[in-house]
Amino acid sequence: MRALSLDRGPLLPTLLLLPSAVLLGGLLAFPLALGVLLGFKDATIGQPGEFIGLENYRYLLTDPVFRITALNTALYTLVTVIFKLALGLLLALILNQRFTGYRFWRSVLLLPYVVPTVLSAFAWWWILDPQFSFISWALVKLGLLRQNLNFLGNAWLARASLMVANVWRGIPFFTVGYLAGLQSIPKDLHEAAALDGASTWQIFWRVTWALLLPLTTILTIFSAIFTFTDFQLIWTITRGGPANATHLFVTLAYQRAIPGGALGEGAAIAGFTLPFLALLAWGALDALRRQD
Amino acid sequence: MGRIRRRTVLGWGLGLATGAFAQAQKPEPVFKPEKDATLRLLRWSGFVKSDEELWSANTKKFTEATGVPVSVEYITWEDVRPKAALAANLGTGPDIIMGWYDDPHIYPQKLVDVTEVADWLGKRFGGWYDVARTYGYSNRMKHWIAIPVGGTVECLTYRTSWMKEAGFDAFPTTPADLLKLARALKAKGHPAGFALGHAVGDGNNWTHWLLWTFGGKAVEKDNKTIAIAQKPALDAIAYAQELYAQMAPGVASWLDPNNNRAFLAGEISLTNNGISIYYAAKKDFPQIAEDLNHAAFPIGPVGRPTELANFSQAFIFSHSRFPNAAKEYIRFMLSPEQAGPWVEAMNGYVTPALKQYRELPVWTKDPKATPFRDGIARMQHNGYAGEPGQQAAAALAEFIVLDMFADATVNGMSPKDAAARAESRLRRIYRS
Amino acid sequence: MRRALTLWLPLLAFAVFLLFPFYWMVLTSIKPNEELVSVSANPFWVSRPTLEHVKFLLTGTNYPRWFWNTMAVASAATLLSVSVSFLAAFALARLRFRGAEGVSLGIYLAYLIPPAILFIPLAEVMLKLGWFDHLWALVPVYSTFLIPFCTWLLVGYLKSIPREMEEAAMVDGASRLRILFQIILPLSVPGLVSAFIFCFTLSWNEYLYALVFMSSPEHKTVPVGLATELVRGDIYQWGPLMAGALLGSLPVAIVYFFFVEYYVAGMSGALKG
Repeated sequence: MRALSLDRGPLLPTLLLLPSAVLLGGLLAFPLALGVLLGFKDATIGQPGEFIGLENYRYLLTDPVFRITALNTALYTLVTVIFKLALGLLLALILNQRFTGYRFWRSVLLLPYVVPTVLSAFAWWWILDPQFSFISWALVKLGLLRQNLNFLGNAWLARASLMVANVWRGIPFFTVGYLAGLQSIPKDLHEAAALDGASTWQIFWRVTWALLLPLTTILTIFSAIFTFTDFQLIWTITRGGPANATHLFVTLAYQRAIPGGALGEGAAIAGFTLPFLALLAWGALDALRRQD
Repeated sequence: MGRIRRRTVLGWGLGLATGAFAQAQKPEPVFKPEKDATLRLLRWSGFVKSDEELWSANTKKFTEATGVPVSVEYITWEDVRPKAALAANLGTGPDIIMGWYDDPHIYPQKLVDVTEVADWLGKRFGGWYDVARTYGYSNRMKHWIAIPVGGTVECLTYRTSWMKEAGFDAFPTTPADLLKLARALKAKGHPAGFALGHAVGDGNNWTHWLLWTFGGKAVEKDNKTIAIAQKPALDAIAYAQELYAQMAPGVASWLDPNNNRAFLAGEISLTNNGISIYYAAKKDFPQIAEDLNHAAFPIGPVGRPTELANFSQAFIFSHSRFPNAAKEYIRFMLSPEQAGPWVEAMNGYVTPALKQYRELPVWTKDPKATPFRDGIARMQHNGYAGEPGQQAAAALAEFIVLDMFADATVNGMSPKDAAARAESRLRRIYRS
Repeated sequence: MRRALTLWLPLLAFAVFLLFPFYWMVLTSIKPNEELVSVSANPFWVSRPTLEHVKFLLTGTNYPRWFWNTMAVASAATLLSVSVSFLAAFALARLRFRGAEGVSLGIYLAYLIPPAILFIPLAEVMLKLGWFDHLWALVPVYSTFLIPFCTWLLVGYLKSIPREMEEAAMVDGASRLRILFQIILPLSVPGLVSAFIFCFTLSWNEYLYALVFMSSPEHKTVPVGLATELVRGDIYQWGPLMAGALLGSLPVAIVYFFFVEYYVAGMSGALKG
């Protein structure tokens, strides 16, 4: 009887949600509010500053560096997430088969995601080095190139190189997520579809992809957030250079707020991400609701 | 001079002895530590391991002499900033921080007045270099807010044999000759390389030298009028464009370690760096160590040395409950009995801000270290001709000067456009 | 033949792309310094391998200490976050209650300001709580960026579990809580495992909070320890750095290796039953 009373009404959900609420409310909501507030002030390190309304935001819209950064961030997120999703799913489909040594491959191909980003960024930094890149070395030896590639010295090449490094790191994120998702698709669905004469492609599209959709939504959203707020990789490899060509919102915000001391402006840059991310969240919620 | 020399010999000249001098100097503390004081220091981790060993040993001596325990936290030099920012913002954390450049001027009102310590040290040990005073003294507060420790001076590092091969017997002393050398070196297949990526140390240092040596500056003395888009700066940019054409490929993306690696691999013949390349070469590449040498940056139209180097200073936060103990600690650590062996152990990585330390044997024992000895005397402060402060810190942190040169070289902008871009960002920073 | 095309060829391509940097990392950790910075030497090979870097890492630094710190913090933060998130996810995915959407949006909003800025206001909270420089304080702090992700991820998995089984159990008179622990929990194992992996690696990777909120050297984590003690000015000790990165990644890979079997068996078994 007692169990039943718990089953009705708001008591059970409240109890279940309470621990998360306490942790997030205390350690996140409050600092988050402080952070947002900071964006409306001209605070510097050690000085609380005064309210200046939207001045920081207004200025940033006129700042060419900020504009490049906004473009970079959008591009970086969009391109890498698409690649990560496609390649991650493909890898999951491959690894979902049973074959000799599948356990080994499943754990080994996870490695890029496991190594601390600070350190894998060091490795990529070296791989993309203008003097020591082994990619350049091999291409030159093979006679395909006259001189080393300048991976990070040219704005577009630098952006592309960082995207490759980011995709490298992010593929296993999708793979791990999808591997678990693939397990939960009942086998008989595939068999039934095959009996109906559907082609492999149709089976994938109508059954697998359709069933993985909720998961895809979530993985994509979070991958987008993690990419959107990527810091370590950029900061280690280029510091936002050459000439601010590779800054993302977060690296620019950090550069201006902490080494530069302009806390308010840094917080405002971070504040610009709010509407984008909120929009994403709304889209995700909506997608999930419709699948119910 | 004679007097100083004698004292030097007594103090540390014949090895690391502390005997005679230490006894002459009363063990009595100059600033009496508070009862039951304890201290926390945050500092950058040593560029060489022996730095930390000596620093810890000296700290132990301090604890033995005064009974004040000190816990020292070492972190990478660039990571000191965020932690110092936290301490300043929250009013809690380490009592003393050894930070960089303009740090103390960002939050001068949060720091203890250390005028007495500065005077005490300055009077006894040869005085402060002018630039050190600029970094330590706050015009806003009208007192010293930090005790200058020293700078990681950079010199032009070059391969002697290749310089000779290029037809130069001595290292150039003017920018024009430097360009000639760079051309000749490139023609011989051994180009020069100067970082144009966001290299906090190397990139900022050489580009500021270049701007200044042509008489350019970011801001006027009033700390308000932006002066970057004027003729001297444009000349410097035009010079950089020519120099860039002589550099090794890839400098556009170089961060601080890149030139070390390229130099050690024999890919470049000339670059700007601290003494670290030399010591790495001594350890793993003896032939290169033999061949390389150091020189001060050439002097351009402005007619005086205008170098920039990472400069460190120690400051005490007013949230410290034991300001006297902290003052005494800084005084103790920077006094010759401690600082002498410490600077020696660093092999010339850090040039102290007190003039007397130019007498240390480390600078002459190996003649290749000598150019680093007077690096502080050759320095101009960050934010020149304005004041050190949050604005200057912001301009440096955002690589305004460095990016101006990168825009004009790597990105092919005209000197005018590159300078205009720098100007507009400086306007915002200096709110002018 | 077909197998070669659908399995081995693409697998090989992925292996090359994903593992090549590791090959380089392994090489770096056993290459002597002279070979490391040489443009003429073949970068794909090492002619005189050395264990010096690994030896230095294990004896010349506090690596073992950093390792256990990271292990403890990452495990605790993962356990805390996964369990808390599982409860929340169940509520959000399976119980209908008013405000469910508000709550999930709220949980998500937690992500909106990145740590690179958030750390300053967060530090104020840490200060008020007196949590500075306590290693365990990283556990709740890490949970703030783990819970939102985990909750959403688990909501996604839970939604893909067919409702029929629960409904059958409900008809039998089982309470919601019993359903949660006896039916949903075993069915969620794959989702939990991947949540576990995500959380663990995210905590294992974390750099900024561990750097600014901890100050004693004995509280350093692997990424902070390696980056603050093996990078000296413009000299990077590449060998020990890479050796440290590799050694640090092994435990996760091994854990995953052993989980894989359970992970597959757990799910397909449950579905048949």
